[in-house]
Amino acid sequence: MNFSLPSNSEKARMWWIWELFSVLVRRNLKRRYRGSFLGIYWSLLSPVIMTGLYAAIFGTAFSSYYNNSTLNYILAAFTGLVVINFFSSATSQALVSVVTSGSIVNKIKLPLFVFPLSFIGANVFQLLLGVFPLLLVITLLISHNLINVIALIVPLLSLVLVCAGVALLTSALFVFFRDLPYFYELITFLLWISSPIFYPAEIVPEEVKKILILNPLLPIINSIRQICLSGNLPDVMLMLASVLSGVIVLTIGAIAFALWQDKFMDLL
Amino acid sequence: MTEAIRFDKVSLWRRTQEEFSYDLKKTVLAFFEGKYREPAKKLVLDSLDLTINQGEKVGIIGSNGAGKSTLLKVICGILQPTTGTVRVRGKIAPLIELGAGFDDELSVLDNIVMYGVMLGFSRREMISRAKLILEFAELEEYGLIPVKGLSSGMKSRLGFAIATDVEPDILILDEVLSVGDERFKKKCEAKMDQFWQAGTTILLVSHTMELIAESCDKAIWLDQGTVKFVGAAKDCIDIYLQHI
Repeated sequence: MNFSLPSNSEKARMWWIWELFSVLVRRNLKRRYRGSFLGIYWSLLSPVIMTGLYAAIFGTAFSSYYNNSTLNYILAAFTGLVVINFFSSATSQALVSVVTSGSIVNKIKLPLFVFPLSFIGANVFQLLLGVFPLLLVITLLISHNLINVIALIVPLLSLVLVCAGVALLTSALFVFFRDLPYFYELITFLLWISSPIFYPAEIVPEEVKKILILNPLLPIINSIRQICLSGNLPDVMLMLASVLSGVIVLTIGAIAFALWQDKFMDLL
Repeated sequence: MTEAIRFDKVSLWRRTQEEFSYDLKKTVLAFFEGKYREPAKKLVLDSLDLTINQGEKVGIIGSNGAGKSTLLKVICGILQPTTGTVRVRGKIAPLIELGAGFDDELSVLDNIVMYGVMLGFSRREMISRAKLILEFAELEEYGLIPVKGLSSGMKSRLGFAIATDVEPDILILDEVLSVGDERFKKKCEAKMDQFWQAGTTILLVSHTMELIAESCDKAIWLDQGTVKFVGAAKDCIDIYLQHI
């Protein structure tokens, strides 16, 4: 047990943690873009190129599942890619974050969970400036409805929750197992393939579908596509499913991190 | 007198460095082969009792591995004791291995703000303090240059300037009192004198006995995680030196 009797209250501490978080988010962004904030738009390049590639290769074969429209296929592939790209970039950066902050947390007492979350924060910022406006425009053009535009926030928020949960879990595990990135690459590849990004969900056999439900990104992709691309009003059940997925993953990650963090300092 | 730091029967077990496996593949394989065992732990602090009053200047001496740095980490709250209680009253500033937390890629200014926030300041406060810190470290022209462009002496100057700008209640010094060239050393000493005069509680870990004798009124001799002697700095040093 450790009793500190600081003069400042719990509220001041929350505020300080927030300040620390925002300072680290800034650091992550600065380190990434070195002053050229146009660099954020580079992050758009990857999903756009990949969408083009998928459309060129699979577009014709799969267009029958998308009302015989290659454009619909392109939009479906793009929305899926946005999700998986955000996930893999945010979580792979967060993975090493606790270990790389080892030298500073051995000198100053800092809340360790802020480090992985700061990488999620930096990626959210990047998403808000890069892909998010594009998604909004697509949604508005297809649905002609502001409700859809607003509803889009729900699955995106769920995505952030899933990423935060995975970031907490993997950054904690990486403290104990330094060969984790090798396995983590495999896991992101599994998530990538098991998410219906470049193929229509309909082609997956029923038995396999039952296993694919375990993919926490699936309800998020489904909800985003329904809101952006269907032209109908947002499906509340799909939105709830995505939120549930986010809450479950975040809870697991947060509990694991909280249980293990006392052991971190011996290994950093 | 008010207590600044109080330890009641504090013990701490830590995993030993050699036992680190760090490897998922090996752990899983060891588990299946039935060779898995709990990592060994070592008693680093052994039911320590300790009271340090506000304003005291305390030197901590002892051989390598006696638990001096661990003790400081427990005081800072970085390590939690396995058993026993620790009470610390007041704001702590660690001045251990200056500049360890700098981010090489970021500019000097950004590092000042980040380091300051980590030490408990708000971002705004640090931005307004940055100029004085740069001035003290004599790095005014380097504000926008990445830290990797600084020499090691400049880095330590910067670390010293930030950490001593905090105005702590408890200052923790691990072997570093003055850095940089002779002129800057004088400046550091002047700054340290201020802390000494201002009634700050100071903990100083050092292997330089003259320094402890000169600047501390009390000293603690740690040996294998236990307190061997507490008392006037001169007595403590005499007994320690006789022992080795």
